[in-house]
Amino acid sequence: MHETSIVNSIIKTLELEFEEEKLDKMSAIYLKVGKLSNIEPRLLHNAYTAKYPCGTKFHSIKLHIESTEIQIQCEVCNHITSVINYRFLCEKCDRPSKNLIQGEEMLIHKVEFED
Amino acid sequence: MSIEKSTKAARGSVQCENTNINLLKANDYVADIIRNEMAKTKTLLINITSSAGSGKTTLMQKTAEKLKDKLTMAVMVGDLETERDAERIRESGIQALQIVTGGICHLEAQMVHQVLPEYNLEDIDLLFIENVGNLVCPASFDLGEDYRVTLMATTEGDDKPKKYPRMFLTSDMMLVSKSDLLPYLPFSVDAVIKDAREVNHELEVLQISALKGEGIDAWCDWLLNKIKEKQA
Ligand SMILES: Nc1nc2c(ncn2[C@@H]2O[C@H](COP(=O)(O)OP(=O)(O)OP(=O)(O)O)[C@@H](O)[C@H]2O)c(=O)[nH]1
Ligand SMILES: [Mg+2]
Ligand SMILES: [Zn+2]
Repeated sequence: MHETSIVNSIIKTLELEFEEEKLDKMSAIYLKVGKLSNIEPRLLHNAYTAKYPCGTKFHSIKLHIESTEIQIQCEVCNHITSVINYRFLCEKCDRPSKNLIQGEEMLIHKVEFED
Repeated sequence: MSIEKSTKAARGSVQCENTNINLLKANDYVADIIRNEMAKTKTLLINITSSAGSGKTTLMQKTAEKLKDKLTMAVMVGDLETERDAERIRESGIQALQIVTGGICHLEAQMVHQVLPEYNLEDIDLLFIENVGNLVCPASFDLGEDYRVTLMATTEGDDKPKKYPRMFLTSDMMLVSKSDLLPYLPFSVDAVIKDAREVNHELEVLQISALKGEGIDAWCDWLLNKIKEKQA
């Protein structure tokens, strides 16, 4: 259910962003989703195919999903830590941090159009 | 190489556009509209999340009992199918509306925005949104709230914060609910707080029992303070 509404959001967002004429030429969507985004790439692919089966408007668009690791940058020492087991702690100076630089994103990173 | 070229030519040219847009942009756009509206009417908006059955509706009833003579409070309840929770809350003497999501497992800003006209926001100091009971997707949808409060019942086991980190990361307050059952359960409040704070070191925590009343005064004081800040 969750994945279905994510698919809806993607299309809704693209409709806001591009003219219909351009949307019709869209051939690929590249998503970047963080490990914290609760998006499971496999389920999202399934939801997409379920929503746009053969013969429907957006069926031929290729969905690419890249999943990114969680990283924080310490506000004090600037060190970048890859977060393991959801411990949001600078590995260098042991300070807790919520300064996420990666891992939370749910981005439509890139789209391709074909004439 | 030449084959590749020819197929490409046959299909025409590929253009690529770097977008980097949030795929929930449509949601967040509406969330900002809600936030602006609430700023104008000085209504404190609280998004209440938890797993199914952690005690959200019971807490709404208890909070209404305690606060309804001091301020005007209202509730919006998201539920998959039924009207029951809103009815329960209305019995406590406050306005409550149900948003039936028709199977969608979370509330989206658009659904909240649609029912806002039903409320006389100018008069409402405190508006709660009881989200659908689920710790996964409600975490991703901003509803324009001032604060997000997550209930974590003692009956759920103490491993939730690491299982659903995004929810705890995006919450401002964790209420350890059903504390009256602690003597009967293998649940460590300290362990759950430790895990939750590893995820979010700024998370505030209160231990409550909507049934027996433990922590309810502290919870209401927290709310009153936030209302005061919003109306200042
Ligand atoms: N022992 C105890 N039981 C509670 C407490 N709060 C709620 N309950 C019980 O837990 C059950 C679920 O409570 P609800 O308030 O309906 O929970 P909810 O989070 O609104 O549930 P959903 O809306 O279905 O997700 C009910 O049987 C309540 O009586 C509490 O503080 N202590
Ligand atoms: Mg409920
Ligand atoms: Zn550091």
